[in-house]
Amino acid sequence: MGERQSWRSAAAGACASVVAVALGLLVTLGESASTEQTVIIQTFQFKPTLTEVPAGTRVNFTNQDDITHTVTSGTPESPDGKFSHRLEGKGASAAVDLTKPGVYPYFCERHRSMRGEIRVK
Amino acid sequence: MKRVVSSIVGAVAAAAILAVSVGQAVTRAQAQQGHTMAAMTTSSTKASGLRSTLNTLFQEHIYLAAAATGAALGGRDAEFKAAAAALDANSVAISKAIGSVYGQGAEEAFLPLWRKHIGMVVDYTVGVATNDKAKQDKAVADLIGYTQDFGAFLQSANPNLPKSVVADLVKHHVVTLKEVIDAQASKDPAKAYTAVRTAAGHMQMIADPLAEAIVKQFPDKFSS
Repeated sequence: MGERQSWRSAAAGACASVVAVALGLLVTLGESASTEQTVIIQTFQFKPTLTEVPAGTRVNFTNQDDITHTVTSGTPESPDGKFSHRLEGKGASAAVDLTKPGVYPYFCERHRSMRGEIRVK
Repeated sequence: MKRVVSSIVGAVAAAAILAVSVGQAVTRAQAQQGHTMAAMTTSSTKASGLRSTLNTLFQEHIYLAAAATGAALGGRDAEFKAAAAALDANSVAISKAIGSVYGQGAEEAFLPLWRKHIGMVVDYTVGVATNDKAKQDKAVADLIGYTQDFGAFLQSANPNLPKSVVADLVKHHVVTLKEVIDAQASKDPAKAYTAVRTAAGHMQMIADPLAEAIVKQFPDKFSS
């Protein structure tokens, strides 16, 4: 009886471990698929202009124009100081980690008509 | 004798009919050939349409800019406002031409970039009107810096347009327009109008390579 209980307990433990590993793997896969987002800067435009991402996403900005652009949070009239990166020329990149839900407008300080927005759910 | 005359008349008539027939046939053939050649040599191609549109718009830019700066320097406010409005309509038309090739996003990005250099030209004109040398120098420096932005934009849109080449062409545009404003300010109409023609003529140096580069980039779109 005691032996049978011990066997059952071991089997249950093994199952739980397998389930836990599987769930962990799913969570990890899910996270890695949704926590990276790319925005390119091309022909003086942020592409895509509007991005929706889950909280905890890292947004990577890559400059494809042969000129300096910035990725500055807020609007030209009201920069909010949450982030600001200078991308000096073609191929330059920067990352922004967005952990809190909300709306994050941004713009280029050198070309103020260039604007984008990230919505974090 | 009558028979001979009759034969001669008949032969002449036959020859005449033959000549007319052959003539008509030749004329038809020539017409067909001409039609074919005309189709081959027409100036109404999409590529030539693009080139003439860009030339018209860029030259119009000079004439309207000169009208606006001349009115501003002459203190003719109503005329300045009308010229500035027409100049902005020209800016919108140039942006739409860019958008017709590169899409609405590019059109919306181009318009503020283009308007930016007009604002700098206005700053320079105000500097000249007020004898503010520092303002003039800043406007010129801004315009020179702007040429790099403009070159980067077009290079990004079209790899056949090297940034440095475009920047140099736009720098020349800035210099020729500055000469117009300086001549207007010195109240030398002959010099001013000569400078206007030079500045307008130079715009072909921008419009032609731009049209050529676009056609090269999208050969299928401009094949006819």
